[in-house]
Amino acid sequence: MKFKPTPLLPMAICIVTTFGDSKCVLPKPKNVPVKEHSSRTESVPSTLTALSVTKPNGPPPYGRRKGWVPHTAEDFGDGGAFPEVHVTQYPIGLGRKGKAVATRSTTTGAPLSLQVNAQGEVQYDAIARQGHAASQLVQTQFKDLVPLRDQANFQSLDTDSLLERPDSQTVRETAERTRAALEKVTQSRIAAAQPKAVTNATNKDPQYIRYTPNQQGGTYNSGSQQRIVRMVEMPVDPFEPQRFKHKKIPKGPPSPPAPIMHSPPRKPTAEEQEEWFVPPSISNWKNAKGFTIPLDKRLAADGRGLQEVQINDNFAKFADALNAADRHAREGVRQRALQQQRLAQKKKDERDQHLRTLAQQAREARAGLVAATEGDDAVLNGRSARSEDGDTGEDEAYRKREEMRQERQREREREARLSHLSTSQRAKAMARSENRDISEKVALGLAKPTGSKESMFDQRLFNMSEGLSSGFKGDDAYNLYDKPLFGGASGSAGIYRPSRGTDSDAYGGGNAEAITEMLQQDRFEHSSTFQGFKGADANRQSSGPVQFEKSQPTAYTAVKSTSDVFGLDQFMEQAKRLKRSSDAPAKPSGSPSKRPRD
Amino acid sequence: MMRPEWHAPWKLMRVISGHLGWVRCISVEPGNKWFATGAGDRTIKIWDLASGNLKLTLTGHISPVRGVAVSPRHPYLFSCGEDKMVKCWDLEYNKVIRHYHGHLSGIYSLALHPVLDVLVTAGRDATARVWDMRTKQCVHVLSGHTGTIADVKVQEADPQVITGSMDSTIRLWDLAAGKTMATLTHHKKSVRALALHPTQFAFASGSADGIKQWKCPEGQLLQTCTGHRTIINTLSVNADGVLVSGGDNGSLSFWDWKTGHNFQSIASQVQPGSLESEAGIFTSSFDQTGLRLITGEADKTIKIWKEDDEAVSPYVATV
Repeated sequence: MKFKPTPLLPMAICIVTTFGDSKCVLPKPKNVPVKEHSSRTESVPSTLTALSVTKPNGPPPYGRRKGWVPHTAEDFGDGGAFPEVHVTQYPIGLGRKGKAVATRSTTTGAPLSLQVNAQGEVQYDAIARQGHAASQLVQTQFKDLVPLRDQANFQSLDTDSLLERPDSQTVRETAERTRAALEKVTQSRIAAAQPKAVTNATNKDPQYIRYTPNQQGGTYNSGSQQRIVRMVEMPVDPFEPQRFKHKKIPKGPPSPPAPIMHSPPRKPTAEEQEEWFVPPSISNWKNAKGFTIPLDKRLAADGRGLQEVQINDNFAKFADALNAADRHAREGVRQRALQQQRLAQKKKDERDQHLRTLAQQAREARAGLVAATEGDDAVLNGRSARSEDGDTGEDEAYRKREEMRQERQREREREARLSHLSTSQRAKAMARSENRDISEKVALGLAKPTGSKESMFDQRLFNMSEGLSSGFKGDDAYNLYDKPLFGGASGSAGIYRPSRGTDSDAYGGGNAEAITEMLQQDRFEHSSTFQGFKGADANRQSSGPVQFEKSQPTAYTAVKSTSDVFGLDQFMEQAKRLKRSSDAPAKPSGSPSKRPRD
Repeated sequence: MMRPEWHAPWKLMRVISGHLGWVRCISVEPGNKWFATGAGDRTIKIWDLASGNLKLTLTGHISPVRGVAVSPRHPYLFSCGEDKMVKCWDLEYNKVIRHYHGHLSGIYSLALHPVLDVLVTAGRDATARVWDMRTKQCVHVLSGHTGTIADVKVQEADPQVITGSMDSTIRLWDLAAGKTMATLTHHKKSVRALALHPTQFAFASGSADGIKQWKCPEGQLLQTCTGHRTIINTLSVNADGVLVSGGDNGSLSFWDWKTGHNFQSIASQVQPGSLESEAGIFTSSFDQTGLRLITGEADKTIKIWKEDDEAVSPYVATV
């Protein structure tokens, strides 16, 4: 028989210790039972038992408590806990929950006692069977995990007979037993459900009970020896509500769990978790009511927008570097072009200058003014030189000629420049100069600066709260005649509005006052004393435009009109005027200062 | 190692399209003339087994019908559904004659006792209820599971009631006492399917982690068949020792019961107009002869499978 010391059986350990102590007293036993101690004290030799009894049952002395654990109340030997023993200890049951110190029972909550099976093996599965009915099958062994068909002894067995269905006899018995049990339950259920017949207890006959009190005597019981009690059932109101409330009995503790006969679940790998990912829009947990989520909401919810795009800094640096290089290159190109342009300009200027001097010389030679000795510089700066001279003989004519010459020169330069331009540029320049130059128009009085400030604004922009950005009104919007043409102060409203007095004047008066006033008025006032022109009267209030009468022809005008019956004079005048106006634009530039320079 | 028995391969024989919802349960009449199906369209339809013609449509449930059973000893059809109702239909009048009221949530499975006038229903309220057929009384409430009970089977000898639950346990119940006889915790995933062997005193249970066979009175593990890597919705066994498992992805696996050898795997084709994801087998049942397999599928069809007649056993040829 094998024995493993367990904490459940401290007695065995105690015996071992006493055995060790008694080694010196007794002769050495022949067969030392090293590990074959029985768990029961009966199996220990009587001598040893006697010895163990003599030994006081207490804790080992201080310093020899290594590996020793106190289990029973006796182990503490009327003392407290052992601090050097690192297990939970309950000396005299202090602090122990539930049961008292040493009373170990098999009831629930108590520590389980060690059980041994028929072969003497410790039944470790007792803990799994604890709390289960004896009839219940609890699989606790390793062999319960191994499929029967894989077990070695199963192969040899006749599997068909092993797996045979129960015979009819068993089936019948089982059915009978079950039927009886179920019927019992059913009957009780039906009986409980059926309303009880109204008891006829109310009209039960009264019971008479003869009652003899214990204490007899004149003072007791009104002196009588016996009493007769009449017992009547108290009438019950059949409609009386229930006096007692049924309370729901709380559910009892569940049966202990069955041993788990499978390996623990593996942690799902990342791939498996990925496989089981259910989008929240269709998940039964996240969208329990099964609403249809619009696609844009799904996209917004899946967090794709939350991921920020990470761009490497090097991109920005690269772009900067490219920009810088580009700028640098452009700058270089521009500088070079400028340089070349400047060179070309210089060369051209030189050539022009040369040509000009040649032309000047030729002109002067032609004019006979030139002195062969005079240099180019003198010619060019002749005017200033002469002014320096302070020669008063130099007259206005010379200055004018000089100015005209310069003007012509400028003209020539311009033409030369134009001739050097490419055709397209020339066309552009022509087009520009065609409409740009309004100096003549100004001179003729055709072009006038915009007079009023009001006309500077687009009328359509008024009364638009949104401004121009809202656009103009639509084509169909009827805003053309929404205002009077001559509205406001400039209009006729102020002028032609008849005043009240004149109104009544015109229409013969509405009221008596006005009529009497009108009658009393002296209508021939002016004929007696002339006080100047009627229209020039400052005090007079004008109630309308000044009206002129056709004047009578005076003597001179009458002569004139007679002399020019056909309006010839007038016609000539007009023709002259027209000729002058048509001449004016034909002249090349009225004033040279107003010619725009290009 | 045992040599697996040869079985002829199975092939699709007929597709019956008539239901408007998932076909969730099948029950073949004891006379093998017709069979009843319950579906997600809340109807129970009765079909002629030989021709596949619709004979009758029974309406009355207000939620998907999850269990039907034809009684071999009464002219009754029992049905249960997610509307928490158990109905007893009289097939002579085609009317509901009884209701069994008491379930707190949808009922997912139903089984009739072969000897006693008792039916057992089980469902989402984690209880199996034993009903007295005639008095409509709930005789026992078999509680103990911590999850939805997906399947319940009843047999004539102890353990008379077997339940497989989503808490991945199987419980064997003592019907007379209404208590658990044994709890089998070998499965790691929810047990959705149970099948009683017609001749042997054993049963099979299907879960996503495999199919296990159990020896009956004490619930010893007989065998583990792995290889059908999907959620197993249904299991059926015939007397020839062919175990069929129908998966949630429309795969059908055929196993030799004795050795656990997977001799055939078929992927069920969805009917035209269905999505690919609508391949799924919810229920299966052999007919009374065991020569036809009827499956109810997620593409709203009922499919009938049969063994290939022309297939010849290679062992016979060599012998």
